Amino acid sequence: MKRKTKKDQAGTIEPDILDNALVMITVLDRKGTILAWNRAAETVTGYAREEVIGSAAVWKQLYPDKEYRRTITEKIVQILSSKNYFADFQTTIRTKSGDRRIVSWNTRETGSGAGAREIAIGLDITEQRKAEAFRESVVENANVLITVLDSAGGVLVWNEAAETITGYTRDEVIGSSDVWKRLYPDKEYRRTITKRITDIIAARHYFENLETTIVTKSGEKKIISWNTRQIGADETHQSIAIGRDITEQRKAEEALIAYVTEMAMRIKQPVEIIGDNLRDVAQLLRQGKLTPDEMAVILEGQVRNATQIVSNIKEFQKAIIEKQKEIPEAYRKFLKG
Amino acid sequence: MPSIVNAEELAKKRIFLILASPVNIRQRNIDLIREISSLGYHIVVITTNYPYNVLMKLYDESGIDLAQVSFIDAVTRYSIGNVEDKPGVVRYINNPSNLTDMGIAVTEELKGRSGKKVCILFDSISTMLIYLSSQNISKFIHFVTNKLRLTDISGIFLAAEKGLDPMLVAQLTTFVDKVIDTG
Repeated sequence: MKRKTKKDQAGTIEPDILDNALVMITVLDRKGTILAWNRAAETVTGYAREEVIGSAAVWKQLYPDKEYRRTITEKIVQILSSKNYFADFQTTIRTKSGDRRIVSWNTRETGSGAGAREIAIGLDITEQRKAEAFRESVVENANVLITVLDSAGGVLVWNEAAETITGYTRDEVIGSSDVWKRLYPDKEYRRTITKRITDIIAARHYFENLETTIVTKSGEKKIISWNTRQIGADETHQSIAIGRDITEQRKAEEALIAYVTEMAMRIKQPVEIIGDNLRDVAQLLRQGKLTPDEMAVILEGQVRNATQIVSNIKEFQKAIIEKQKEIPEAYRKFLKG
Repeated sequence: MPSIVNAEELAKKRIFLILASPVNIRQRNIDLIREISSLGYHIVVITTNYPYNVLMKLYDESGIDLAQVSFIDAVTRYSIGNVEDKPGVVRYINNPSNLTDMGIAVTEELKGRSGKKVCILFDSISTMLIYLSSQNISKFIHFVTNKLRLTDISGIFLAAEKGLDPMLVAQLTTFVDKVIDTG
């Protein structure tokens, strides 16, 4: 059975367009009385057109909270006092089943005098807002620095990790590109980094694992590994930059390398010493310069040297197996300088 | 044979780090003792590699006046157990890693020699690496060099060339007046 479209009362939109639109469309008179209510409006709100046409009561049902209703009514009045429409006016409605949906409203006025009508188009942006909120949450809660930049390097987004890592709050950095001068205060270093970035971007529009050393607000130096992606390709493109603070990782790597170097020195050279000593003993023995007792003392010394080297190797193996936490404190302090 | 250390620099109580290839390090020890003793110095040899009696014999065979040499021996007692010190000739310490005893022995040996023609020869930093971290070796060398400067005595530290990591060499270089690579 074909649905009644109340075409005569709406008087402004073809019934097929009205019903098949994927957005809520409603036509109201000056008093807010519903003259048309399309299928999408029914789906979103849960109220059938039969329940709403000819009355303004649905607005109280959609906005049951008196205070909230008063607030949005005031806003509507305020908007309409300066222009006869509103755009992307976002409200939260309560559906018939009690759910909350966020609707972005756009209106247009048609007709005049007693025949004046408001066409209100409502876009259900609940899922979109949820996705946005999720994205914002991901950005905010990420433990990496995330910033979005305009084509001139101006900061548009500066997440919580960015604040923590750099010491600069979003209020201090958003809207300008000044923060880069503060993070790279050395003019020559800044120039070098800028050139590297420019060269990389010119070649492929993004960079991966680019390491730079920033100076935080407190003056501390931190090593950041940057990855970027360009959003859009025109002159007004934006870039998203993700920076990972790898300072501790680098220190740990340097400490481990230094420890390995130390241990290599303490294994290779002593083994060579034992070899040289034994060669010496052989030579001195051939020359008849050593008594058996003297030879025994030297050989006994080499046995102890070898035993100590084995002990050093075991300590080294243990440290490697257990990773850095097992590096002896004496070395750790030494490596820290 | 050209001298390894300059007599004038030695007279100025300079401190040297002398690097030698591992195969030459024993001979370099003997060459230095011969050279420095011929300049009228008394030499205190701190040995962590060869026992005192072997070195004595090698020095003797090389024509070195043994009265000009005394020893701090960190090898013999560690290898064969208890041996008695010979005052004025040799002090034994139990273990090459016992830096406290070694420091006391150095202090005792230097006592009463301030201002005299005395030189300390430390043989060798390389052997010490078997028993000690470079951090502790560095601290000990710093202690000894300070002692030498305070008592106005010159000193020589022997090490195998290319055996020390650059960080340790850099630290040792700051403690000494001159690094000589003898090959």
